[in-house]
Amino acid sequence: MSDVLLQAENVGIRFGGLQALEGLNLTVRDKELCCIIGPNGAGKSTFLNVLTGTLRPTSGSVRFLGHDIAGLPLHRIARLGIARKFQIPSVFPSLSVEDNLKVARWGVPSPERPLSELLELVALTDRAGTLAGELAHGQKQWLEIGMALAIEPRLLLLDEPTAGMTPQETLATAEMLLRLKGEFSIVAVEHDIRFVRALNCETLVLHQGRRLRSGPFHEIETDEMVRDVYLGRR
Amino acid sequence: MIARDRNWLLIFAVCAALAVLYPLFADGYQLTVIRDALIFGLFAASLDFFWGRTGILCFGHAAFFGIGGYIMALITLNDAIPFGSVLGIMGAVTGAAFVAAIIGYFLFFGGIRGSYFTIVTLAMGVICQQAAVSWSSVTGGDSGLIGIPPIEFDVGEIHIDLSQDLPSYVFVATIVAVVVLALWSISRGRWGTVLTAIQDNEVRAAALGHNAPLRLLVTFVLSAAIAGLAGALYVCMAGLVAPDLSGLLLSTEVIVWVAVGGRGTLLGPVLGAIFIQRAQQMISSFNPSLWPLLLGCVFVIIVFVLPDGILSIYARLKSLFKGRRRAQ
Repeated sequence: MSDVLLQAENVGIRFGGLQALEGLNLTVRDKELCCIIGPNGAGKSTFLNVLTGTLRPTSGSVRFLGHDIAGLPLHRIARLGIARKFQIPSVFPSLSVEDNLKVARWGVPSPERPLSELLELVALTDRAGTLAGELAHGQKQWLEIGMALAIEPRLLLLDEPTAGMTPQETLATAEMLLRLKGEFSIVAVEHDIRFVRALNCETLVLHQGRRLRSGPFHEIETDEMVRDVYLGRR
Repeated sequence: MIARDRNWLLIFAVCAALAVLYPLFADGYQLTVIRDALIFGLFAASLDFFWGRTGILCFGHAAFFGIGGYIMALITLNDAIPFGSVLGIMGAVTGAAFVAAIIGYFLFFGGIRGSYFTIVTLAMGVICQQAAVSWSSVTGGDSGLIGIPPIEFDVGEIHIDLSQDLPSYVFVATIVAVVVLALWSISRGRWGTVLTAIQDNEVRAAALGHNAPLRLLVTFVLSAAIAGLAGALYVCMAGLVAPDLSGLLLSTEVIVWVAVGGRGTLLGPVLGAIFIQRAQQMISSFNPSLWPLLLGCVFVIIVFVLPDGILSIYARLKSLFKGRRRAQ
């Protein structure tokens, strides 16, 4: 299959005596959108860290366009075309919104998307000169998505993109991602069900480090077992 | 051009004008005093270029000053080497840069940051001073090397001899102005912005494709090279080099100059160096034991009251009055 972008095979990771992940498989095709959900402690963030190469799996492999990315330096991974949005908004607080995006663009050899378009995409055009540290929480999250877009990734990995957002902001973020779908692949780790429902895409459900179910979200949502471990708690 | 840049250029122009006019009012001795203070100002600017932009404090910056000084002394004192002054300066700059590159490589790529970096560089300074004392066959030990000739070189047909007060003042002032202007344009552009980003969040900057350790290393090496240049200039003007020039005391003093002048402003540290050295001379002539006490107090007050240095007084007062007006 030539359009496979990211392939995780039989990924397992162990921290001391704790088997955090076991036997996980994930295939992300070019321009595909998919979600990873699961209750707290299911191993979502750990799995994402493995997918971005930050954590080396104790078993299995992660390949991006055929390269084994485990253990590569962060900036090399970024230059391969993997962008990442961190769980805690990590913008550069002492730089302006515009400079934040510039720093992101400078990381790639020849960025194509103009700065003004980036600002517009993340709805921050009128705040370009504001220091990023002074933005509202939701705006910081958007700015970070903008920075991830600026490096023109093949694959965008989002770690809880809507954490701490209001319901309106959450839906606006989902719309933003749906607009971007088709430009590159997106993997979002999330536990806000409204957000995942709005995206309605291929979904992998994790539970205690293992795959519980996977499939389109509307099927997942009606699955009894998923309801029991996760949705049922709402 | 944003207001901050305009203000900086304005202050720079005023300082440059003062430096040009100063010889009209000063005698030879006063010129040499300011000249030497300017060399230390250049040294302070070199530390500020690294500390101010990366937020990482190097507590052994005098090591590079001393290495530059010793290399300059050894080359110019050796009669067998032609063009001693030019080769000496080049040797001093590359020598300091080389040492910084080796130490910096292991520290930055090994993930050493923050206070750990400060502690390692502190040790580096102590090692350099000890080496200068112990390796007496080359460095002259405790008493150092004396009789270093003044800088002289040819530019085309013109022979430049810096043994006189005025030419040496003009030479040093020009170098300081050019280097500070160059460092400023580097640090306000793309290079400086990315450094600020790395200071804010290094992991994030790396995840955007920036090679953070390499950038920090290059900045550190450049900073050390300029410290080496300052050391080379100083030993030629003073005519001697001694282990003190790479010692802990000088490393501490340069930190105080930068802090007092305003970290991250490049120009502030130069002014801080001149200002504090003048104060030191005046107060020491009055009572030598008073100076360390006063210096300590001034440092503490600056850190608490004006953490951005003396250059920020104007901005502070302005925001204070603005606040008052709004309150009324």
